[in-house]
Amino acid sequence: MRRTLPLNKRGLNFETLMWLFTRLSALGMYAFILMGAIGALIMGARTQMNMADLMRWSFMPNTTHVQNTNVLDLSMWSNPFWKVSASLLYLLAMAHGVHGLVVVCDDYIAGATGRKIVRFLSIVVMVVMGPIGLMVIWA
Amino acid sequence: MQVTLKIFRFNPEVDKKWHYETYTLDAPETDRILDLLEKVKGHVDGTLSFRRSCAHGVCGSDALRINGRNQLACKTLVRDTGAKITVEPLLGLKVIKDLIVDMKPFFDNYKTVLPYFINDSPLPADGKERLQTIEQRARFDETTKCVLCAACTTSCPSFWGSETYLGPAAFVTAHRFIFDSRDEAASERLHILSETNGVARCHTVYNCTMACPREIQITKAIGEIKLAMITGKLD
Repeated sequence: MRRTLPLNKRGLNFETLMWLFTRLSALGMYAFILMGAIGALIMGARTQMNMADLMRWSFMPNTTHVQNTNVLDLSMWSNPFWKVSASLLYLLAMAHGVHGLVVVCDDYIAGATGRKIVRFLSIVVMVVMGPIGLMVIWA
Repeated sequence: MQVTLKIFRFNPEVDKKWHYETYTLDAPETDRILDLLEKVKGHVDGTLSFRRSCAHGVCGSDALRINGRNQLACKTLVRDTGAKITVEPLLGLKVIKDLIVDMKPFFDNYKTVLPYFINDSPLPADGKERLQTIEQRARFDETTKCVLCAACTTSCPSFWGSETYLGPAAFVTAHRFIFDSRDEAASERLHILSETNGVARCHTVYNCTMACPREIQITKAIGEIKLAMITGKLD
Protein backbone atom coordinates (compact mmCIF):
# COMPACT_ATOMS: atom_id res chain seq x y z
CA MET A 1 0.00 0.00 0.00
CA ARG A 2 1.43 3.41 -1.02
CA ARG A 3 1.79 5.85 1.86
CA THR A 4 1.01 9.40 0.78
CA LEU A 5 0.13 12.30 3.02
CA PRO A 6 -2.64 14.67 1.91
CA LEU A 7 -1.71 18.29 1.22
CA ASN A 8 -2.73 19.63 4.64
CA LYS A 9 -0.61 17.05 6.49
CA ARG A 10 2.75 17.73 4.89
CA GLY A 11 3.82 20.79 6.86
CA LEU A 12 3.47 23.02 3.81
CA ASN A 13 3.61 26.29 5.72
CA PHE A 14 4.88 29.67 4.50
CA GLU A 15 8.46 28.78 5.47
CA THR A 16 8.45 25.64 3.32
CA LEU A 17 6.67 27.30 0.42
CA MET A 18 9.22 30.13 0.41
CA TRP A 19 12.02 27.55 0.47
CA LEU A 20 10.43 25.94 -2.58
CA PHE A 21 9.86 29.31 -4.23
CA THR A 22 13.53 30.22 -3.82
CA ARG A 23 14.55 27.06 -5.68
CA LEU A 24 11.99 27.45 -8.45
CA SER A 25 12.58 31.19 -8.86
CA ALA A 26 16.27 30.46 -9.50
CA LEU A 27 15.24 28.18 -12.36
CA GLY A 28 12.80 30.84 -13.59
CA MET A 29 15.57 33.44 -13.58
CA TYR A 30 17.80 31.17 -15.66
CA ALA A 31 15.02 30.96 -18.24
CA PHE A 32 14.60 34.75 -18.38
CA ILE A 33 18.37 35.34 -18.52
CA LEU A 34 18.68 32.90 -21.41
CA MET A 35 15.78 34.61 -23.14
CA GLY A 36 17.44 38.02 -22.69
CA ALA A 37 20.77 36.79 -24.03
CA ILE A 38 19.15 35.17 -27.07
CA GLY A 39 17.03 38.27 -27.64
CA ALA A 40 20.07 40.50 -27.51
CA LEU A 41 21.95 38.27 -29.94
CA ILE A 42 19.04 38.28 -32.38
CA MET A 43 18.65 42.04 -32.15
CA GLY A 44 22.21 42.95 -32.90
CA ALA A 45 24.49 41.95 -30.07
CA ARG A 46 26.66 40.03 -32.51
CA THR A 47 27.74 43.20 -34.31
CA GLN A 48 26.65 46.17 -32.27
CA MET A 49 27.22 45.25 -28.61
CA ASN A 50 30.12 44.26 -26.46
CA MET A 51 30.09 41.53 -23.83
CA ALA A 52 29.10 43.93 -21.04
CA ASP A 53 26.07 45.14 -22.99
CA LEU A 54 25.04 41.58 -23.74
CA MET A 55 25.24 40.68 -20.04
CA ARG A 56 23.29 43.76 -19.08
CA TRP A 57 20.56 42.87 -21.54
CA SER A 58 20.53 39.29 -20.25
CA PHE A 59 20.23 40.18 -16.60
CA MET A 60 18.06 43.27 -17.00
CA PRO A 61 16.38 43.27 -20.43
CA ASN A 62 15.32 46.89 -20.08
CA THR A 63 15.28 49.14 -23.12
CA THR A 64 16.03 52.26 -21.09
CA HIS A 65 19.29 50.69 -20.02
CA VAL A 66 20.74 49.97 -23.45
CA GLN A 67 20.51 53.41 -25.06
CA ASN A 68 24.23 53.98 -24.81
CA THR A 69 25.04 50.97 -26.99
CA ASN A 70 25.82 51.28 -30.66
CA VAL A 71 22.43 49.88 -31.62
CA LEU A 72 20.75 52.63 -33.62
CA ASP A 73 17.11 51.58 -33.46
CA LEU A 74 15.79 50.63 -30.01
CA SER A 75 12.13 50.72 -30.99
CA MET A 76 11.94 46.98 -31.66
CA TRP A 77 13.04 46.33 -28.10
CA SER A 78 10.67 48.76 -26.48
CA ASN A 79 7.57 46.61 -26.51
CA PRO A 80 5.36 45.02 -23.83
CA PHE A 81 6.99 41.60 -24.33
CA TRP A 82 10.40 42.79 -23.14
CA LYS A 83 8.90 45.01 -20.47
CA VAL A 84 6.88 42.14 -19.01
CA SER A 85 9.93 39.88 -19.28
CA ALA A 86 12.10 42.47 -17.52
CA SER A 87 9.46 43.01 -14.83
CA LEU A 88 9.12 39.29 -14.11
CA LEU A 89 12.87 38.81 -13.97
CA TYR A 90 13.17 41.80 -11.67
CA LEU A 91 10.42 40.64 -9.30
CA LEU A 92 11.71 37.07 -9.22
CA ALA A 93 15.26 38.22 -8.55
CA MET A 94 14.14 40.59 -5.81
CA ALA A 95 11.97 38.03 -3.98
CA HIS A 96 14.66 35.36 -4.43
CA GLY A 97 17.40 37.63 -3.12
CA VAL A 98 15.47 39.12 -0.24
CA HIS A 99 14.32 35.70 0.95
CA GLY A 100 17.89 34.45 0.65
CA LEU A 101 19.00 37.30 2.90
CA VAL A 102 16.28 36.45 5.43
CA VAL A 103 17.50 32.84 5.52
CA VAL A 104 21.11 33.94 5.98
CA CYS A 105 20.02 36.31 8.77
CA ASP A 106 18.22 33.39 10.46
CA ASP A 107 21.63 31.74 10.84
CA TYR A 108 22.80 34.62 13.00
CA ILE A 109 19.65 35.93 14.63
CA ALA A 110 18.11 33.21 16.79
CA GLY A 111 15.65 35.32 18.81
CA ALA A 112 12.00 35.47 17.79
CA THR A 113 11.89 39.29 17.97
CA GLY A 114 15.05 39.70 15.90
CA ARG A 115 13.67 37.38 13.25
CA LYS A 116 10.38 39.26 13.18
CA ILE A 117 12.28 42.52 12.64
CA VAL A 118 14.27 40.98 9.76
CA ARG A 119 11.09 39.71 8.15
CA PHE A 120 9.38 43.07 8.56
CA LEU A 121 12.38 44.87 7.01
CA SER A 122 12.44 42.40 4.12
CA ILE A 123 8.80 43.18 3.37
CA VAL A 124 9.51 46.93 3.60
CA VAL A 125 12.40 46.56 1.14
CA MET A 126 10.19 44.70 -1.33
CA VAL A 127 7.25 47.08 -0.99
CA VAL A 128 9.51 50.11 -1.51
CA MET A 129 11.93 48.77 -4.12
CA GLY A 130 9.36 46.81 -6.14
CA PRO A 131 7.41 49.80 -7.51
CA ILE A 132 10.61 51.82 -8.05
CA GLY A 133 12.11 49.05 -10.17
CA LEU A 134 8.88 48.58 -12.14
CA MET A 135 8.70 52.34 -12.71
CA VAL A 136 12.21 52.30 -14.21
CA ILE A 137 11.17 49.52 -16.59
CA TRP A 138 7.77 50.90 -17.62
CA ALA A 139 8.01 54.69 -17.32
CA MET B 1 56.41 6.49 16.69
CA GLN B 2 56.58 9.71 18.64
CA VAL B 3 53.35 11.65 18.67
CA THR B 4 52.74 15.28 19.59
CA LEU B 5 49.31 15.62 21.11
CA LYS B 6 47.96 19.15 21.49
CA ILE B 7 44.84 19.21 23.63
CA PHE B 8 42.34 21.99 24.29
CA ARG B 9 42.21 22.59 28.04
CA PHE B 10 39.77 24.60 30.11
CA ASN B 11 38.97 24.24 33.78
CA PRO B 12 36.21 26.70 34.76
CA GLU B 13 37.29 26.55 38.43
CA VAL B 14 40.82 27.74 37.67
CA ASP B 15 41.11 29.14 34.15
CA LYS B 16 39.74 32.45 32.98
CA LYS B 17 40.39 31.44 29.40
CA TRP B 18 40.97 28.22 27.53
CA HIS B 19 44.45 27.20 26.41
CA TYR B 20 46.23 24.31 24.72
CA GLU B 21 48.64 21.89 26.31
CA THR B 22 51.04 19.74 24.33
CA TYR B 23 52.07 16.23 25.28
CA THR B 24 54.70 14.06 23.62
CA LEU B 25 53.92 10.36 23.67
CA ASP B 26 55.23 7.14 22.22
CA ALA B 27 52.46 5.36 20.41
CA PRO B 28 52.16 2.74 17.68
CA GLU B 29 50.34 4.00 14.61
CA THR B 30 47.56 1.51 15.28
CA ASP B 31 46.69 3.32 18.50
CA ARG B 32 43.43 5.23 18.55
CA ILE B 33 43.22 8.86 19.61
CA LEU B 34 41.15 7.64 22.56
CA ASP B 35 44.14 5.49 23.62
CA LEU B 36 46.35 8.59 23.58
CA LEU B 37 43.85 10.54 25.68
CA GLU B 38 43.72 7.62 28.15
CA LYS B 39 47.53 7.61 28.31
CA VAL B 40 47.62 11.31 29.12
CA LYS B 41 44.88 10.99 31.72
CA GLY B 42 46.34 7.82 33.27
CA HIS B 43 50.04 8.67 33.25
CA VAL B 44 50.59 12.39 32.71
CA ASP B 45 47.70 14.54 33.90
CA GLY B 46 44.75 12.97 35.71
CA THR B 47 42.73 16.19 35.51
CA LEU B 48 42.19 15.85 31.76
CA SER B 49 38.46 15.42 31.17
CA PHE B 50 36.73 13.79 28.23
CA ARG B 51 33.72 11.58 27.61
CA ARG B 52 34.08 7.94 26.66
CA SER B 53 32.02 4.83 27.20
CA CYS B 54 32.02 1.83 24.89
CA ALA B 55 35.24 2.78 23.06
CA HIS B 56 34.05 0.85 20.01
CA GLY B 57 32.20 3.44 17.93
CA VAL B 58 28.73 2.53 19.14
CA CYS B 59 27.88 4.78 22.08
CA GLY B 60 28.85 8.05 20.40
CA SER B 61 30.32 9.57 23.58
CA ASP B 62 33.75 10.56 22.35
CA ALA B 63 33.04 12.70 19.30
CA LEU B 64 35.78 15.31 19.21
CA ARG B 65 37.39 17.71 16.77
CA ILE B 66 40.56 15.90 15.77
CA ASN B 67 42.88 17.87 13.51
CA GLY B 68 39.95 20.13 12.68
CA ARG B 69 37.50 17.38 11.74
CA ASN B 70 34.69 15.96 13.84
CA GLN B 71 35.46 12.31 14.45
CA LEU B 72 35.06 9.64 17.10
CA ALA B 73 38.28 9.36 19.12
CA CYS B 74 37.74 5.60 19.38
CA LYS B 75 37.60 5.13 15.60
CA THR B 76 40.43 7.44 14.56
CA LEU B 77 43.88 5.88 14.37
CA VAL B 78 47.22 7.59 14.73
CA ARG B 79 48.12 6.42 11.24
CA ASP B 80 45.15 8.43 9.91
CA THR B 81 46.10 11.64 11.67
CA GLY B 82 49.89 11.62 11.47
CA ALA B 83 52.29 12.44 14.29
CA LYS B 84 50.93 15.92 15.00
CA ILE B 85 47.49 15.69 16.52
CA THR B 86 45.25 18.47 17.81
CA VAL B 87 42.22 17.47 19.86
CA GLU B 88 39.49 20.01 20.60
CA PRO B 89 35.91 19.87 21.85
CA LEU B 90 32.98 19.96 19.42
CA LEU B 91 32.10 23.38 18.05
CA GLY B 92 28.82 25.16 18.72
CA LEU B 93 28.23 23.77 22.22
CA LYS B 94 29.40 25.32 25.48
CA VAL B 95 32.56 23.79 26.91
CA ILE B 96 32.03 22.48 30.45
CA LYS B 97 35.58 21.27 31.04
CA ASP B 98 38.44 20.40 28.69
CA LEU B 99 36.92 18.23 25.93
CA ILE B 100 33.47 17.92 27.51
CA VAL B 101 30.70 20.05 26.04
CA ASP B 102 27.18 20.72 27.27
CA MET B 103 25.02 18.44 25.11
CA LYS B 104 21.70 19.79 26.41
CA PRO B 105 20.85 21.99 23.38
CA PHE B 106 21.66 19.02 21.13
CA PHE B 107 19.33 16.67 23.01
CA ASP B 108 16.64 19.35 23.34
CA ASN B 109 16.60 19.58 19.55
CA TYR B 110 16.59 15.80 19.33
CA LYS B 111 13.54 15.56 21.58
CA THR B 112 11.69 18.16 19.49
CA VAL B 113 11.25 15.76 16.54
CA LEU B 114 9.43 13.11 18.62
CA PRO B 115 12.24 10.54 18.52
CA TYR B 116 10.11 7.54 19.37
CA PHE B 117 7.73 5.14 17.67
CA ILE B 118 4.13 6.38 17.54
CA ASN B 119 1.28 4.10 16.58
CA ASP B 120 -2.04 4.25 18.40
CA SER B 121 -3.83 1.82 16.08
CA PRO B 122 -4.96 -1.51 17.54
CA LEU B 123 -2.52 -4.38 17.25
CA PRO B 124 -2.90 -6.74 14.27
CA ALA B 125 -5.47 -9.52 14.61
CA ASP B 126 -2.90 -12.02 15.85
CA GLY B 127 -1.95 -9.57 18.60
CA LYS B 128 1.73 -9.82 17.72
CA GLU B 129 4.06 -7.77 15.56
CA ARG B 130 3.27 -4.94 13.15
CA LEU B 131 4.84 -6.53 10.09
CA GLN B 132 6.63 -4.76 7.29
CA THR B 133 8.27 -5.93 4.09
CA ILE B 134 12.02 -6.05 3.49
CA GLU B 135 11.65 -3.02 1.19
CA GLN B 136 9.71 -1.06 3.82
CA ARG B 137 12.44 -1.76 6.37
CA ALA B 138 15.18 -0.87 3.91
CA ARG B 139 13.57 2.53 3.29
CA PHE B 140 14.88 3.93 6.59
CA ASP B 141 17.73 1.51 7.30
CA GLU B 142 20.41 4.15 6.72
CA THR B 143 19.12 6.49 9.40
CA THR B 144 18.81 3.79 12.06
CA LYS B 145 22.61 3.78 12.29
CA CYS B 146 22.83 7.11 14.13
CA VAL B 147 24.62 6.93 17.49
CA LEU B 148 23.79 10.53 18.52
CA CYS B 149 27.45 11.52 18.81
CA ALA B 150 26.64 15.07 17.57
CA ALA B 151 29.54 15.06 15.10
CA CYS B 152 27.14 16.07 12.32
CA THR B 153 25.19 18.76 14.12
CA THR B 154 28.31 20.43 15.50
CA SER B 155 29.90 20.52 12.05
CA CYS B 156 26.94 22.41 10.62
CA PRO B 157 27.40 26.19 10.07
CA SER B 158 23.67 26.77 10.57
CA PHE B 159 23.95 25.20 14.04
CA TRP B 160 27.06 27.26 14.86
CA GLY B 161 24.93 30.33 14.07
CA SER B 162 22.18 29.39 16.50
CA GLU B 163 21.75 26.29 18.62
CA THR B 164 17.98 26.45 18.20
CA TYR B 165 18.40 25.09 14.66
CA LEU B 166 17.30 21.47 15.00
CA GLY B 167 20.34 20.21 13.17
CA PRO B 168 21.26 17.13 11.12
CA ALA B 169 21.10 14.57 13.95
CA ALA B 170 17.50 15.53 14.76
CA PHE B 171 16.64 15.33 11.05
CA VAL B 172 18.22 11.89 10.81
CA THR B 173 16.09 10.69 13.72
CA ALA B 174 12.98 12.26 12.22
CA HIS B 175 13.77 10.54 8.91
CA ARG B 176 14.07 7.20 10.70
CA PHE B 177 10.47 7.46 11.93
CA ILE B 178 8.85 9.42 9.08
CA PHE B 179 9.70 6.70 6.57
CA ASP B 180 8.91 3.78 8.90
CA SER B 181 5.73 2.19 7.52
CA ARG B 182 4.64 1.22 11.06
CA ASP B 183 4.80 4.77 12.44
CA GLU B 184 1.78 7.06 12.30
CA ALA B 185 3.20 10.45 13.26
CA ALA B 186 4.92 11.44 10.00
CA SER B 187 2.57 14.39 9.61
CA GLU B 188 3.35 15.78 13.09
CA ARG B 189 7.07 15.47 12.46
CA LEU B 190 6.85 17.12 9.05
CA HIS B 191 4.99 20.03 10.62
CA ILE B 192 7.73 20.38 13.25
CA LEU B 193 10.46 20.19 10.61
CA SER B 194 8.76 22.80 8.45
CA GLU B 195 9.13 25.51 11.10
CA THR B 196 11.80 28.22 10.96
CA ASN B 197 14.42 26.07 12.70
CA GLY B 198 13.66 23.07 10.53
CA VAL B 199 14.93 21.67 7.24
CA ALA B 200 14.52 24.92 5.29
CA ARG B 201 17.60 26.22 7.10
CA CYS B 202 19.76 23.38 5.78
CA HIS B 203 22.03 25.03 3.20
CA THR B 204 23.22 21.70 1.77
CA VAL B 205 26.77 22.31 2.98
CA TYR B 206 27.43 18.54 3.29
CA ASN B 207 29.60 19.01 6.43
CA CYS B 208 27.27 16.63 8.28
CA THR B 209 27.68 13.87 5.71
CA MET B 210 31.46 14.23 5.82
CA ALA B 211 31.52 14.26 9.63
CA CYS B 212 29.27 11.26 10.30
CA PRO B 213 31.36 8.40 11.77
CA ARG B 214 28.61 5.94 10.75
CA GLU B 215 28.75 7.17 7.15
CA ILE B 216 25.07 8.04 7.05
CA GLN B 217 24.15 10.04 3.94
CA ILE B 218 22.66 12.80 6.07
CA THR B 219 22.25 15.48 3.42
CA LYS B 220 20.45 12.94 1.24
CA ALA B 221 18.14 12.08 4.16
CA ILE B 222 17.37 15.78 4.68
CA GLY B 223 16.62 16.06 0.96
CA GLU B 224 14.19 13.13 1.25
CA ILE B 225 12.39 14.89 4.11
CA LYS B 226 12.08 18.05 1.99
CA LEU B 227 10.73 15.98 -0.88
CA ALA B 228 8.21 14.28 1.41
CA MET B 229 6.98 17.72 2.49
CA ILE B 230 6.35 18.68 -1.12
CA THR B 231 5.05 15.42 -2.59
CA GLY B 232 3.63 13.76 0.53
CA LYS B 233 5.14 10.43 -0.56
CA LEU B 234 6.53 8.35 2.30
CA ASP B 235 7.60 5.21 0.42
